[in-house]
Amino acid sequence: MGQVIAKNAASLALSAGNQGSQQYLTFTLNSEVFAIGILNIKEIIEYGALTEIPMMPEFIRGVINLRGAVVPVVDLSARFGGNQTTVARRTCIVIVEMTHVIEDSEVRQDIGIVVDSVNEVLEIPPAEIEPPPSFGARIRADFIQGMGKVAGKFVIILNIDRVLSVDEMAQLAAVGARSGSDGDDTAH
Amino acid sequence: MDEITSVFVTESREQLAAMESALLELENSPDDADILGAIFRAAHTIKGGAGVIECNFLVAFTHVVESALDKLRNGEINANADLVALLLACSDHMGNLIGVLESGAEAPDAELQGEGDALLARLQRDWLNAGGADAATHPAAPAADAVLSSGGGVVETDCWHISLRFGPDVLRGGMDPLSFLRYLGSLGSIERLETIADAMPAADEMDPEACYLGFEISFASSADKAAIERVFDFVRDECTLHILPPRSKLADYMQLVMALPEDSMRLGEILVRIGALTQAELEEGLATQNAAALLPPDEDEDSALAAPPPQLGEILVEQKVVQPELVEAAVVKQKQVSDKKAAEARLIRIPADKLDRLIDLVGELVIAGASVNLLASRAGQADLTEATSIVSRLVESIRDSALQLRMVQIGETFNRFNRVVRDVSRELGKDIELVISGGETELDKSVVEKIGDPLMHLVRNAIDHGIEPPEVRAEHGKDPRGRLELNAFHDSGSIVIEIVDDGAGLNRDKITRKAVERGIIAAGQTLSDNEIYGLIFEAGFSTAEQVSNLSGRGVGMDVVKRNIQSLRGRVEVDSKVGEGTRFSIRLPLTLAIIDGFLVGAGEASYVVPLDMVVECMELQDQPRDRNYLNLRGEVLPFIRLRELFELPGARPKRENVVVVKAAGQKAGIVVDQLLGEFQTVIKPLGHLFRNLRGIGGSTILGSGEVALILDVQALAQLAARGEDHAHDTAHGR
Repeated sequence: MGQVIAKNAASLALSAGNQGSQQYLTFTLNSEVFAIGILNIKEIIEYGALTEIPMMPEFIRGVINLRGAVVPVVDLSARFGGNQTTVARRTCIVIVEMTHVIEDSEVRQDIGIVVDSVNEVLEIPPAEIEPPPSFGARIRADFIQGMGKVAGKFVIILNIDRVLSVDEMAQLAAVGARSGSDGDDTAH
Repeated sequence: MDEITSVFVTESREQLAAMESALLELENSPDDADILGAIFRAAHTIKGGAGVIECNFLVAFTHVVESALDKLRNGEINANADLVALLLACSDHMGNLIGVLESGAEAPDAELQGEGDALLARLQRDWLNAGGADAATHPAAPAADAVLSSGGGVVETDCWHISLRFGPDVLRGGMDPLSFLRYLGSLGSIERLETIADAMPAADEMDPEACYLGFEISFASSADKAAIERVFDFVRDECTLHILPPRSKLADYMQLVMALPEDSMRLGEILVRIGALTQAELEEGLATQNAAALLPPDEDEDSALAAPPPQLGEILVEQKVVQPELVEAAVVKQKQVSDKKAAEARLIRIPADKLDRLIDLVGELVIAGASVNLLASRAGQADLTEATSIVSRLVESIRDSALQLRMVQIGETFNRFNRVVRDVSRELGKDIELVISGGETELDKSVVEKIGDPLMHLVRNAIDHGIEPPEVRAEHGKDPRGRLELNAFHDSGSIVIEIVDDGAGLNRDKITRKAVERGIIAAGQTLSDNEIYGLIFEAGFSTAEQVSNLSGRGVGMDVVKRNIQSLRGRVEVDSKVGEGTRFSIRLPLTLAIIDGFLVGAGEASYVVPLDMVVECMELQDQPRDRNYLNLRGEVLPFIRLRELFELPGARPKRENVVVVKAAGQKAGIVVDQLLGEFQTVIKPLGHLFRNLRGIGGSTILGSGEVALILDVQALAQLAARGEDHAHDTAHGR
């Protein structure tokens, strides 16, 4: 059942990417509003019961138990190069389904992202989406899919495939772990 | 490909595998009747199946092989290395033919056909013709002894005589009488054939679904009686079959005539017509027969004639139509067939994903059970606790049996190497003995599937590069026969597979030279033995001076290492110049569920695989900056989990040490609390954490919290590397 829905969602995402307006979930992170396409989102849960993984870079917050599945949780703020999100009353974990390719076969993986608070689901017509600025957004340009105009303000629509690229994060994790222990060693 | 064909292909491949391993055994004990029987049965089953699906090219080839095997079984020819090699080649060719069938092609291509013809020609020339002359007379000889002579000489014909009456249900049973004749034709040539339609009733009484046919066949073949009988195996119960060997006694023919339901005069004529008897012989026979009829009839024979023959063999013996030993052979064979059927019934083939789903569910059950246990013990109700403990015991047994479903013995994989070692060593002119131990060690099926290729590389390498040619070995005072060992055993939560040869060992200087040449290391760099041996796993490294077609192209060892690493395993090399090399592949338990020991450090819980835990103790009076302790006189290095994982918070007042044993070494892990044994489901951490060392996976505790499973060996390495590094930096490197 879950798979059927997921497949539909994936094919919808493909078609919706090309034409028509799409729905986006907006959320706040460090008092800035971001949006991600709703089709990748599986659910939103309260922040809690997170197990930290040692020797991992800051942006990998840990893992949670999502009804029997162990799901990694990414700290989006740290991923953008900032500090780790401080947990508050409205902190949520948005569960996003990612597809990545391992040895020529597609693998689905759920990843949680930590956000300060979830706002609403919006419909943004393609005409209202501007291309990302080459600089100035203070996050990597390839993370931005576009700038949505909502009530006269810009909302950063994230390119979730880039932001949560499993391959890239795993590589960073490997490098991060090494440099982390190096730094520790020199401190001795 | 239709269903029958695909079943045939699968089963034939199994039969071929059995045949191959039996052939390899045969090489060591050429006279073992059981082995010979097994080989023959395999070939025969394949031929029989191929006949049923009318795969003629396979029947034709297998038939010749089978005749050779039959001679072997009857002791007419003796097995030697050449014959075994030839038969192995034949079994390979049969495999190829099955491949052709599988691909849906009508016939093998010219090249394959040529190969097959060449093999058959060799079989014919070297083995079949040699014993051919006495094979033809062989079946007849015992018949002459066994048959009660009631006068009459030997009938002059070189053909078998087969009387066949199909039962009325043959067509209803889905059998086509003609296909049996066609198949019979593959054993030899049908010289004459007469159809007996006497049983056919008048048209309005005739049941179009019933079979009324019978055949009298004159059949020229070098096959023996059992082989001809086997043609009709599938309709054995539903037909009346009489087979007379060539040059049988006239009396036999007469008895046959009497035994058949048709009028004896008419039958006699038919026999004359198909050339089984001459007119003179017939007359002589009938005369004798009539004379005999005047005597009081033998009771046994009488009843046998009266009763329809359901147990053909028995009656035939009574009638002395068939040699008792042939009946015995047939009975034994029938028994084997039914035994095999029974064994097959005990096996169920199921798709692997169904099994995986079951194991997933059992995993969930284990987690849920743990949480129920937790709640029950909190509630403190005695009867509830008791009930949950029963449930958890049951869950435990379900878990064990579910896991057992996935386990297969590694022996099957090992046995494949008998052939590899034999072929490769022969090709290279080496004499190598393969010693297998620990074949019963069980491994997860997915691991067994993936370990085959790396093992193949290592075994080939050992034969090609490791073990020296016999002359060189003799020069060095070693047994000219090389020895290659394949071992498997469980060791502290891992499975170790060893490939040990007693060859020349790795040449340190040569490896170093080569590595410098290839730019893998810098000239003048000093390396430890282990580091040097590790170089052979580098891409593009090969020390073989001559490139052979087996190995030496520099692909292989790095692939071996990568494959083993992808199973989260490790490969280690140990070598002594002149004495040999030992490759140890250590694979982790990749099972879905393990028994774990739960410990706490900081706020988190960690699981140590229970079979690695040796003991637990309190950490006492420990100097703050040294990480070893005195374990009853032994120096025990330890890892502080808090330090290694950089856990926040201060050390608690009392710390505990879990003493673990990994890869033969003991080490301590210092943790805050010991939380006890815990049955746990391994949840892989996924691709995101693929570079994470020291953590083997995760699991979900009864409370719903995620706990990490420690990879003890990797932790020890991590700690060792960390200290080396700290040391290096302290010296300003």
